[in-house]
Amino acid sequence: MSTDDTEPTTTYEQAREELADVVRRLEAGGLTLEESLGLWERGEELAKLCQHWLDRARERLAAAAPADGAGQD
Amino acid sequence: MTAPSSPEAPWPVRTVARKIADWIGRLGEVWVEGQVAQLSRRGGAATVFLTLRDPAADLSVPVTCHRDVAERPGLELSEGARVIVRARPDYYVARGSFSLRATEIRAVGLGELLARIERIRQLLAAEGLFDAVRKRPLPFAPAVVGVITGRDSAAERDVLVTARRRWPAVRFEMFNCAVQGPQAAANVIEGLRKLDAHPAVEVIVIARGGGSVEDLLPFSDEGLVRAIAATRTPVVTAVGHETDTTLVDHVADVRAATPTDAAHRIVPEIGEQRRLVEGYRARARHLLTARLEQQERWLESVRTRPVLASPDRLLHGREEDVLALRTRARRMLVHRVEGAERDLEHARARVAALSPAATLDRGYAVVQRADGALVRDPADVADGELLRVRLAGGRLAVRVDSGAPSDPTTPEDEQA
Repeated sequence: MSTDDTEPTTTYEQAREELADVVRRLEAGGLTLEESLGLWERGEELAKLCQHWLDRARERLAAAAPADGAGQD
Repeated sequence: MTAPSSPEAPWPVRTVARKIADWIGRLGEVWVEGQVAQLSRRGGAATVFLTLRDPAADLSVPVTCHRDVAERPGLELSEGARVIVRARPDYYVARGSFSLRATEIRAVGLGELLARIERIRQLLAAEGLFDAVRKRPLPFAPAVVGVITGRDSAAERDVLVTARRRWPAVRFEMFNCAVQGPQAAANVIEGLRKLDAHPAVEVIVIARGGGSVEDLLPFSDEGLVRAIAATRTPVVTAVGHETDTTLVDHVADVRAATPTDAAHRIVPEIGEQRRLVEGYRARARHLLTARLEQQERWLESVRTRPVLASPDRLLHGREEDVLALRTRARRMLVHRVEGAERDLEHARARVAALSPAATLDRGYAVVQRADGALVRDPADVADGELLRVRLAGGRLAVRVDSGAPSDPTTPEDEQA
């Protein structure tokens, strides 16, 4: 995924909450172009972070029981 | 009668023996109840020897009787039997031994035995020994199980085989002993103490197969019931068939119907446990997966929201704004330029209207001196002075000639 080799310090929940806030603010409008671009970039970053955590969770689920693929669909 | 004894005049043995025999002989007849602990009938001997034991206390007395008394028809005299004996204390001088000389022996009837057990049961129940609050829970999967059974008995086999099949890791600490007869209760008590003191034993099973009511009597022994109540280790009993109820069943922490049932109670079934764990595992995985999928769907929905998915939309409106402003600005500018042009045209027309050219066109001329000053009066000029004349068609220079006649009505004498 996107992020560095080191694990991100932001938890999934933190990233998710901030991402929801970013979208809310973008949708509400009333921002300068610079502000909205900055927010959008942050949103992309947060979405990647969320994706990273979810991918990691999937990997760990898969690693826990390599024999059965019940969790994978 | 006899002189008191002294170191100088001791009594012979016979005197002492006779005196003891006299004294004991005067005690008279008593009715005694007890349990036959030992019974010896020697071939043709006329005297039968038996040991009468107190079931509740660790003591006994020897009893002798004539063979006819012991072998009275209808009397089933055997070891372990409860009997009521009519006897007279007796001192046998030839050996210096004491015994009760029985003249009559009656077996204690079954009904009487059961009534006695019931009395003990009520007594112990009143003491609270059978209360549900005293029951201790059994360990879930004990590493070591203490087992008290008869050696090589079916009960032993049932417990061991069943428990091992259900939980192969289980280990046993065995105590084999008599499980019927006069020594049974004492033996089981000993086994209980030993296994209770064993640090690894987590639960104790007392198992015995079915038998007659008399066979099972040791398991209603008051001492044994109290010993079970006193253990620190939980106790499971499996005595007799399901229908047999002994007092140990009341005091036990768990009463199993049979030795096989006891095995079921003490260890879990490994396959069942595996399935249980597998079930929990599957549920946990399912929950986690569902949670993950829900989060993935959420993330997907957020990422596809227009504000995130097509960031160029952020520019869209703004580009249009810029374009519109630009158009407005341009239109504004064009407007201004056109206005300016119109103004210029007007100004030009006015300038044209105000200019002397039209007057000149009609034949008037403007005369100026060399310094540009307009000449309005002939007196303003000197003779011979060079003047400039502006006509509609252009300029010309003239010299003033004062001698020439002046005709004010015809100023058309221009052109040199």
